[in-house]
Amino acid sequence: MPDTTRPDGTTRSFRLGVAGPVGTGKSSLIATICRELADELRLGVITNDIYTDEDARLLRSAGVLDPERIRAVETGACPHTAIRDDVTPNLIAVEDLERDFAPLDVVLVESGGDNLTATFSPALVDAQIFVLDVAGGGDVARKGGPGIARADLLVVNKTDLAQYVGVDVPQMVADAEAARDGKPVLALSRHDPESVASLKEWVLAMTKIVRGGGHTPVDPGPMAPHSHTDENGVMISHTHAHSH
Amino acid sequence: MLADGRLPTGGHTQSAGLEPAVRAGLGADGKQPADVGAYARDRLRTVTRTEAAVAVLARHYANAQAITTEADKPSPAGTSGTEPFVMASRFVQLESAWAARTPSRALRTASRRQGRAYLRLAERVWPDVLQHLPRDSEIARPLVIGAIGAVTGLSPEQVARLVAYDDAQTVIAASLKLLPGDPAVAVTWLAALHDDIERLVNDVAPLTDIDKIPAAGAPLIDQFAEQHAIERMRLFHA
Ligand SMILES: Nc1nc2c(ncn2[C@@H]2O[C@H](COP(=O)(O)OP(=O)(O)O)[C@@H](O)[C@H]2O)c(=O)[nH]1
Ligand SMILES: [Mg+2]
Repeated sequence: MPDTTRPDGTTRSFRLGVAGPVGTGKSSLIATICRELADELRLGVITNDIYTDEDARLLRSAGVLDPERIRAVETGACPHTAIRDDVTPNLIAVEDLERDFAPLDVVLVESGGDNLTATFSPALVDAQIFVLDVAGGGDVARKGGPGIARADLLVVNKTDLAQYVGVDVPQMVADAEAARDGKPVLALSRHDPESVASLKEWVLAMTKIVRGGGHTPVDPGPMAPHSHTDENGVMISHTHAHSH
Repeated sequence: MLADGRLPTGGHTQSAGLEPAVRAGLGADGKQPADVGAYARDRLRTVTRTEAAVAVLARHYANAQAITTEADKPSPAGTSGTEPFVMASRFVQLESAWAARTPSRALRTASRRQGRAYLRLAERVWPDVLQHLPRDSEIARPLVIGAIGAVTGLSPEQVARLVAYDDAQTVIAASLKLLPGDPAVAVTWLAALHDDIERLVNDVAPLTDIDKIPAAGAPLIDQFAEQHAIERMRLFHA
């Protein structure tokens, strides 16, 4: 479990992991968070690319954050290992970023993707978002898995596409909630400002909680129920995007 | 334990130069077994021999330091971690000797990054290592391995074998990602390197003189490494 202060006395950021299968919109979600919050929070980004520094480049070219604050870590074709079994290269990258741009409020760590079982080690991140998309099919949420069941926030992304892929978003969200014991699920589309605002609120609220020391990172393995859902009424437990 | 690729020290990000070599044409003619095995063997005769020798020297120095400064050891890390740590001059000289024999800046950077990863693990598992090397710092990997070898009571032969085996295994394991084939076949390439590994061990284990560290370079490996560091499409760090 990470300490809040480092031995050399420098401050430590809230480290937020973004996991989920390839193509579900992790990089886009990070770009959205940067765009929405770069004025309010001091941000940094670490990407775990499968084969290229594509994600880092995409984010740098999105112009949402100083390119220097976005760094890529190689995963040797083991994106799962990189965020879970051996977090050393990522941890070094996060700490170096925190040192080079001190003080940072939030460092976002994008997983290289992999499958439904790839989740972050609590040694690397304080909290994590797991991203699914409607295009992956309405059944995915029901199938569950450690990321779906226990991530701090589950995002059902690209709801704007639901009508084209025949997915019933409220049903998919309800399935996900059932698999998650009431932990928050957010139906998101970058084309839906209301859902983007909810995402922003969640990140801000979580930042406040983690930085206030009120959160214990969890990840697969038995976990105590989370109690951060209704902090000041800002935390969304479930947000259903309106259909388009 | 130190030879286990599952040790959390970022080993999965390393290909021991195989990725850039493959990009430069290794294995392209379909003779993968011969190529990958020969590449690992070339390393054992050049760059890895230097690495192993430096690790052996680092173990030697760490043991000597433990004896001479038993009375006034610096406080182990974790007490405050903020006091400046001055590395013994012999380790500084050893790092320079290693750097002088490692002309590629990309390879020096990669080795120091790995050394740091080992040092971070050692801080938790074998904290005595911090009596020799400053915590969480970028120090060439063979120095860190040698210091860990000293505090865990390894012999010079074990330290040399560890470096040699780890390097060969890194090449072989990476080949499964870069030139996918039958994993059992890959293990036979590793087994075939046994004699080369033992020859290296016999040659470098007795070393106690910094000037005797072998300096057989492998210019192509250096050149590939430099190219790789600016490459866009990368699976492995180096
Ligand atoms: N329609 C739609 N497409 C999206 C949305 N978010 C991301 N995408 C697209 O999904 C694809 C994969 O996104 P990316 O962020 O690279 O996914 P990653 O592999 O999880 O990082 C890209 O073509 C994005 O433009 C969304 O909200 N709606
Ligand atoms: Mg991505």
